[in-house]
Amino acid sequence: MLVIENLVKQYGKFKAVDNLSMEIKEEQIYGFVGANGAGKTTTMKIIAGLLKATSGKVALGGVDIEANPGRVKSRIGYMPDFFGVYDDLKVSEYMDFYAGVYGIAKSKRKELSDQLIELVNLQDKTDVYVDTLSRGMKQRLCLARSLIHDPELLILDEPASGLDPGSRVEMKEILKELRKMGKTVLISSHILSELSEMCTSIGIIDRGKMVASGPVADIIKKASYNRVIRIKVTGSPEMAVKFLKEQPSVGSISEASDYIDADFNGNEQELASILRGMIYANISVISFMELEKNLESAFMSIIRKNGGNSEKIGNGENCESLGNYENNENYEKQIKGGADYDYKKSGN
Amino acid sequence: MIIRNPVIEKELKTKMRGWKSPALITGYLAFLVLVIYLYFLASGQLEKYSMQYFNPRVALNSYYFLASFQFGVLLLIVPALTGGAICGERERQTLDLLLCTNFPAISIITGKLIVSIAHILLLLIASLPVLGSVFLFGGIGVSDILLLSLFYIVTAFMVGSLGIFYSTIFKKTITSIIVTYITLLVLLFGTLIIMFVWGSVNRIQNFPRIEHLYAFLFSNPIFGFVSIMEGLNGGYGISTIFGIGYGSTQLANTWVKPWMINAAFDILVTIVLVLISTRRIKPVKGISKLKNKEGKKQFVFYSSRTKG
Repeated sequence: MLVIENLVKQYGKFKAVDNLSMEIKEEQIYGFVGANGAGKTTTMKIIAGLLKATSGKVALGGVDIEANPGRVKSRIGYMPDFFGVYDDLKVSEYMDFYAGVYGIAKSKRKELSDQLIELVNLQDKTDVYVDTLSRGMKQRLCLARSLIHDPELLILDEPASGLDPGSRVEMKEILKELRKMGKTVLISSHILSELSEMCTSIGIIDRGKMVASGPVADIIKKASYNRVIRIKVTGSPEMAVKFLKEQPSVGSISEASDYIDADFNGNEQELASILRGMIYANISVISFMELEKNLESAFMSIIRKNGGNSEKIGNGENCESLGNYENNENYEKQIKGGADYDYKKSGN
Repeated sequence: MIIRNPVIEKELKTKMRGWKSPALITGYLAFLVLVIYLYFLASGQLEKYSMQYFNPRVALNSYYFLASFQFGVLLLIVPALTGGAICGERERQTLDLLLCTNFPAISIITGKLIVSIAHILLLLIASLPVLGSVFLFGGIGVSDILLLSLFYIVTAFMVGSLGIFYSTIFKKTITSIIVTYITLLVLLFGTLIIMFVWGSVNRIQNFPRIEHLYAFLFSNPIFGFVSIMEGLNGGYGISTIFGIGYGSTQLANTWVKPWMINAAFDILVTIVLVLISTRRIKPVKGISKLKNKEGKKQFVFYSSRTKG
């Protein structure tokens, strides 16, 4: 349904999207995963016709977005990560306005917007001014807006960002409903556990490049051939990092504020000897555990491999490629689904 | 494009809601009426037992004053209203929500332009009966007031399109408004200054002559406005305050009046700036001229699409 071929978006010398190719089939829920600045939003904006690609091709149902932006836009519903609402409109007027913008006949607008308002569970807010709605309600209203013209493809950029846990659950329920409707959805999120539950396929993007793509189970399987060991130590982690780097069965190492993740490709005896060795070396280990194989660990593993330079990570240097997230507390919150993640702080 | 433009519908609905707009119109009209009353009072025309003869010049002068005042209000307010038209959408983060639809960019621009100047036009149109009070004394016809109103509208569109154009260029509303005012000042006074500097450098006698006025002031809204006012007055005039009295007496005998040239310039500038602004906000230009009709064809109610 959506085919992207060799997409490039360049700002001066910086490539925000670098030769990215992907395909989304009909009725797929495709999760777009990547760190801040990886190129997710840029790619989504290009698909939505809001940015012009430097080169490459984006086609929806065989129609090229560059050649026929109007035709493609009428088939896409787009919900940006940050959006504004017209504060001086009521919920029903807001929906009516966008129905008008999409050229929907006046006689059909009310019925359609009522259905969508009900879908996003705002039926008791129709006569309320939009500016009085909570963040979660505004997100849901924006989702209803993006559905007003019955699009084939729905592009949702961080639809659950900044929402409290209750609102996130509601958003998830709505997305399940959309899946039942047969909508094709491209969704980006930092909450990987939620993505793995609802997506049929995912694509992992790093520094503008698609580094892995396919069904969620396949990605986890392929990416997790290395086990990831999470080690927590008291005091400075330098000794632990140095020790781990000397172990032949340890691959790349990444250091966060309160733990160290190490790719491990040995057997159980080797694993036990690493722990034993750390204790003999007077490293104060307080936790030593293998991470469960899931989308989060797969993502971390793939990104680490793609970044490649374990020296820099291991030394705690903020290497350009990984510094955006590996040493970023905000990033940890995103991955864990923290609702209090401050996007402005991260500059995304 | 204009009649069924949802941008216009939405803005008019929200702007006219509440007490502010009716209060603004009432206050503005009350002010104009007060000005006329004071003008007549000061001229001794309202004293019941006065033996002073009736002077129609007073009515005409009050008309000039009101017309000039309204023209000044228009030039002062329109940049402030239009300078933030697109910037405001960008700042509110609502522009992308419009641009990701198949709604034509030209409808966004024309909608914003019309809505931004609709308020000032409403004030001007509402004040027509006040201007029409001079009918009681003669000297001004309905066609004169209509011509003036048309000139107001054309000028408002030109100034408005300048504001919209800059608001597509600059990210901040305040920058856009300031640059619009600067451009307007250049048109209003810059052209006059250039003309007189040119005249004094070249030491031309009987300066400025009609050809100089046309050459330097064709784009100056005051030039067009003054020529409309002078048309009522057989060449006598308020234009002498700009030192262009000699040329203006020549103008009284020419068929192509400055306001025609000025209005043509305004219309041309409006069209060009609207087209450039439209192109500027279009993120992806497109190469096909195919008109999309799919929105209506694809429309299916959601209940019928639910699978499970």
